[in-house]
Amino acid sequence: MDYFYSYLILAEIYVLLGLSTNLLVGVVGIFSVSQAAVFGVGAYIVSDFLLSGTLSFLPALAVAAVACIVLNVLLTLPSLRVSGDYFVVTSFGIQLLATAVFTNWTGGTGGANGLPGVPPPDLFGFPLEETRQILGFTTVAAGLGCLAFWLAMRAPYGRLLKAIREDELAVAAAGKDVLRAKVSAAALAGAFAGVAGGVYATYMSFIDPSSFDLDASVLLLTMVVVGGARTLAGSIVGPFVLLALPQLLQLVAIPTTVAASARQLLYGVLLIAFAVFRPQGLAGERL
Amino acid sequence: MRMSRFWLAAVAAGALLGAAAPARAKTIELGALLPLTGPGAVIGTEQMRGIQFAVDELNAKGGIDGDKVHVIYDDDQAKSDQAVLDFNKLVSLQHVPMIWLAYSGPTLATAPLATRRHILILNSGAQSDALQKASPYLVNTLPSTEEEVKVMVKYLRAQGKSTAAVLYENDAAGIGGRDDFVKDFKAAGGKIVAQEPVQFGQTDFRPALLKLASAKPQVLYVVTTVGMVPLADQLHEMNHKWLVAGTTFMNNPQVIADPNAAGLIHTQVEANVSPALMAAFQKKMGVEMGFFSRQYYNSAQMIFIILDHMIKAKTPITGANMRTELFKIKTFATPVPMTFTSNTAIVPIAIEEMKNGTEVTITHSVAK
Amino acid sequence: MLLLQLLVNGIVTGCALGVVAVSFALVYATTRIFHIAHAGVYTLGGYLAWSLLAHGVPEPLALLGAMAGCTVLGAAIQHFLYAPLERRRATHLIVLIASLGALAVIQNLIAAVYSSDILEFTIPWASAVVTLGGLRLTGAQLATLALSLAAFVGMLWFAHRTLLGKRIRAVASNPFLAEITRLEPRAVYVTVIAIASAVVCIPGVLVPLDLGLQPYGGVTPLLTATIAMIAGGVGSLGGAFLFAVVIVVLQNLSLLVMPGEWSIGVTFAIFVVFMLFRPRGLFAAG
Repeated sequence: MDYFYSYLILAEIYVLLGLSTNLLVGVVGIFSVSQAAVFGVGAYIVSDFLLSGTLSFLPALAVAAVACIVLNVLLTLPSLRVSGDYFVVTSFGIQLLATAVFTNWTGGTGGANGLPGVPPPDLFGFPLEETRQILGFTTVAAGLGCLAFWLAMRAPYGRLLKAIREDELAVAAAGKDVLRAKVSAAALAGAFAGVAGGVYATYMSFIDPSSFDLDASVLLLTMVVVGGARTLAGSIVGPFVLLALPQLLQLVAIPTTVAASARQLLYGVLLIAFAVFRPQGLAGERL
Repeated sequence: MRMSRFWLAAVAAGALLGAAAPARAKTIELGALLPLTGPGAVIGTEQMRGIQFAVDELNAKGGIDGDKVHVIYDDDQAKSDQAVLDFNKLVSLQHVPMIWLAYSGPTLATAPLATRRHILILNSGAQSDALQKASPYLVNTLPSTEEEVKVMVKYLRAQGKSTAAVLYENDAAGIGGRDDFVKDFKAAGGKIVAQEPVQFGQTDFRPALLKLASAKPQVLYVVTTVGMVPLADQLHEMNHKWLVAGTTFMNNPQVIADPNAAGLIHTQVEANVSPALMAAFQKKMGVEMGFFSRQYYNSAQMIFIILDHMIKAKTPITGANMRTELFKIKTFATPVPMTFTSNTAIVPIAIEEMKNGTEVTITHSVAK
Repeated sequence: MLLLQLLVNGIVTGCALGVVAVSFALVYATTRIFHIAHAGVYTLGGYLAWSLLAHGVPEPLALLGAMAGCTVLGAAIQHFLYAPLERRRATHLIVLIASLGALAVIQNLIAAVYSSDILEFTIPWASAVVTLGGLRLTGAQLATLALSLAAFVGMLWFAHRTLLGKRIRAVASNPFLAEITRLEPRAVYVTVIAIASAVVCIPGVLVPLDLGLQPYGGVTPLLTATIAMIAGGVGSLGGAFLFAVVIVVLQNLSLLVMPGEWSIGVTFAIFVVFMLFRPRGLFAAG
């Protein structure tokens, strides 16, 4: 049962990240390949507070959320200056820079050794040690995230964001504040990523830079592609499918020495297949 | 309809076969979480070969008292979150009592789970100092880097070397080794004149080596896990004058065979197996039996001894019982003998020098 | 002396990276495809050459054979992947995802066939050391320098002096106009990727000749090359090459003033700042 629970917990954490990435990439059209960096900052902030004992879990999570809001807004600022592929490369750069900081700033992140022994999450002094309790907590967190996303998309604000992606000039000409809309979307995406990071660190009890690297960012992007852009359903389906995939691929019988590469290869084939045959993903709209 | 009838027939046939087999013979399933793709795959695959060779050999001989052993391999890509997910899968779905691990990150990440779920986890690859106290259920079959560093520092000082530079890999293994060396070498009265990192998987060592060379050290201490052949070649092309020293990480058949590596010395967690075994391995796997293959082969032999004791005593095969049995047996006459007074095996550490395509042992000592 | 040796090593590696940047820039400027699978083509080149050498093929022929293999792979990616995507009017993001997928397929096929071990070329002249004044360079480094410069000059000559090159530049500057003037952008795209693949095979063989082959080793060079392309201004082949050399030289020299673990981080930090203040590059064409 724990296996299934841990799958659900990780999938729910990734749903928050999927919402974050979808908001930026799908909804606003800011092609970020550095969401894992923001995720990591959230994780390290919560871990540092809990390990030093200065704050308990919920206040630490709040601090992480605020920090990630600020950070994400800063990171998406270049998208106002440069567009398209230029921002992609800038974003790649931000991600590699973040990895360098996570790996080398030993004081704050434990460096390449990572931070072992992060305490489990607690609610008002009541620690959540059992996997089932953590699952309950992540379900509530992911549920709240989904609700926020849904409400935002339904509101006039959501329509404004969509309009910006379709035709930014027209929206600006209509007298709407494009900058404010973009910045607030980035802020919301930052909050999701920060909370996801904090929950992740406390659930795993150990974090190191490898969980927040370029591969992780690409995985998040893939989740949006496979799930489908811009929809709530897509943001939920993507993480659940992509985390289940490696487990399902384990069942494919391949000679052991090449099995692992063959699985990764199948994963590449799936990416291509989605791009060519189903760009709207499983439950979304076309990117 | 036809399909379901087929399945029914298959299940019935399976049941019959099961019934026909002797009641005792069964398969003992164990797990292994290794990096099988990504940059860590070089080492992960070598480790997998070691385990699989031991298992095949055992099963060909009829298993343990008739019971076959089967190892389920999962690829954690040396990443901690993937390792946690795979760990839970192996334990909850496949009900394995013990799991092999490699690399510090995944091992440290799964250690609290092992404590909670009473699963024996066995590390025969990573040497971070943090692994010593991570979990009572984590057993290390090779000493930490710290133990190796102590042996080397003592040797270097005895040789009258007083200045050293450190080249280290910028990850848990490399940084741990650097910290230990810097601390111990200074404590022994030596001086560290320069240190420089390289990224994991990087094979262009020239800039770092040039910078270190400009500090004119007597000794270059190297703690990197991959890329030893390019390192040996680039050291050679610099025509350097210093003594190059390293840890077990340096032991790699290709490096030893490389004439440019002549004169390199390193501490070696002893993992010598018989030439006959090396030859059999080479024949079956098509590659030389590297250090990590030998380590995991050896720890597999240890597990077989534990299982043998448990089956004879009819002890249920659980993680907790395996752990108890391990400390009860304490000393294992495996190809590389091991003794456990703590979670980390006491094994001999030698200092070896590379010479004419082979290695020559300079000294022997035992950690702790 | 240290400074000089670091500088020369940086120039050698930088020239190899420069060829990667120039070939990527040619593809990007013409097709606007962020062809990240180019990293896979680069990696495959080295492995093909290694296999050919292992079967006793003479060295120059092994290089040409590997280049032919890369050409086929590059053209196939364009024909079977990018062209159908374009017909379906896929967005940039989708094409990038498909390219990432292709990269994963290539890298893991290589890993499955050759294993993930670092493979070494065993060519005596490549590891022989040549002393020039106080400088020490290996045969592989000298070959890298010579062939990379030749490839770069060849590319410049091709783009500016040949009819096909002019056609490519016409398509790059205005695909729509090229379409109506019957320059057939689609045929040009296949040609461009094929040529770029053949060219990227040169550093793809020479760098591993010096430093060894790894199946997952192509991504960092490609990303650094992309940065060089953008810093140099998209469309300027000379700018891409020059910046590739500058970036690598600076990474090498930065060791003199700071610890090496920060050199990659600082490279990208400078780049991000650069993008904020001068996003069109220093030598932007047009």
